[in-house]
Amino acid sequence: MSTASHRSGGSRVSNRIEMDRDTVERDLMKLVLTVVELLRQLMERQALRRVDQGDLDEDQEERIGLTLMLLEERMTELCDRYGLSLDDLNIDLGPLGPLLPR
Amino acid sequence: MTGDLPGEVVRAGDVSVGPGRDGAAPLAGREIALVDLLDRLLAGGVVLVGDLTLSIADVDLVRISLRAVISSVRAGEAITR
Amino acid sequence: MSAAHPTVRYCYAIARPFPEEVLRGLAGVRDAELRPVREGDLVAVTSPVPAADFDESALRRNLEDLDWLAGVARAHSAVVDAVAERAATLPLRLATVYLDEDRVRAVLRGGRARFAAALDRITGRVEWGVKVSTLPADRGGRPRADRSGTGHADASGRSGRSYLRRRMAERNARETGWRRAAEAADRIDRELSELAEDRRQYRPQSTRLTGSRGENVLNVAYLVAEERSAAFVDRFAALRDAADGYQVELTGPWAPYSFAEQTEDTDDAGRAGQAGAEPVTANGSPHGEVS
Repeated sequence: MSTASHRSGGSRVSNRIEMDRDTVERDLMKLVLTVVELLRQLMERQALRRVDQGDLDEDQEERIGLTLMLLEERMTELCDRYGLSLDDLNIDLGPLGPLLPR
Repeated sequence: MTGDLPGEVVRAGDVSVGPGRDGAAPLAGREIALVDLLDRLLAGGVVLVGDLTLSIADVDLVRISLRAVISSVRAGEAITR
Repeated sequence: MSAAHPTVRYCYAIARPFPEEVLRGLAGVRDAELRPVREGDLVAVTSPVPAADFDESALRRNLEDLDWLAGVARAHSAVVDAVAERAATLPLRLATVYLDEDRVRAVLRGGRARFAAALDRITGRVEWGVKVSTLPADRGGRPRADRSGTGHADASGRSGRSYLRRRMAERNARETGWRRAAEAADRIDRELSELAEDRRQYRPQSTRLTGSRGENVLNVAYLVAEERSAAFVDRFAALRDAADGYQVELTGPWAPYSFAEQTEDTDDAGRAGQAGAEPVTANGSPHGEVS
């Protein structure tokens, strides 16, 4: 998944290994965060549906809304830490399209 | 935005279409957005089985790293010739 | 493979014959010299490239490198467009590569009838691209913490209810915008198709690729007869002027990138050189499909 540019020359090998390690960790986090983001979006969608249906009382709305809001903030923070944006997250499933809706 | 002015229609060949143009007007020399070009070069064109590689299957090979594309291609960025 | 063929032939297009001067001043991928290969009444426009850049693993790597991809795409389309100005042209896909000139000739010979048919289909025609998208504002942004909401607030003064309400408004706007654009796209597609001979639909373009221009709902190419081009563009202009709640974009005129596909099985073209007498390399081993 990474786009490590290829360098020649033995003196650069250790740099490259380090960069690959960082990239591997970053790619892994990207996967993890994508899954978390998917769940967050699903939960949010579900919450909105229930608000639509008038399913929730004020208290519930407030709590759920707050949770979702804080969740979204945490996600943004985590993404920042790894140099990703929420928009960066996604997994391409090929013919099925992307995992997260655009 | 490219080519969306009705008065500036140009086309390949010797005959031009549109008011007020004479002579052949070149296809080259106008701005082309990379995204539009990639649509055509990666998923369009004649599909021939080359010798070294299979013809590129759709855009799947590239989509993995579209993020790399995004970081460099901003809205409106174009290739100018 | 590489030992026998350190350089190979990158192919840009197959066209009817055109004057040499068309290629003057143009260079191919990596600034290589353009070499038209004429066989009968077909010309393949080629240039030599390092085999090492185009075998499968190298290609996968290179396609993920934007600089490489953009450079090759730009060189490729420059050549295609220059030729298409002067002769009926079938643009090839990016990175169609053959071992050497003999192989190119074999492909031209073997595919002669198919190429001729494809050329006939696009002669005297022009390609136009049309995209319909939602408005940028309707895309909906990422939610931000609400500092001025009503309802119960936590210690920092933000409210969960107002967050939900905001998200709902964004979702509704997004859905409305999408629905408007999609309905318009249907209508526009039908109207423009009336003036076109052929139509090819591409995947909607990723928002992330196009920046903040809204979500692409329709991405389509039309093949239009030259004499109809003006009417086509006029109709597009009218549709654009009437656009309300979505945006439309016209690109073109293009060389017929989207309509160069052959209808028959293309395997024969690739194996043309191997039926009957097989061309042989200098060291005595036959050409084969190389992986």
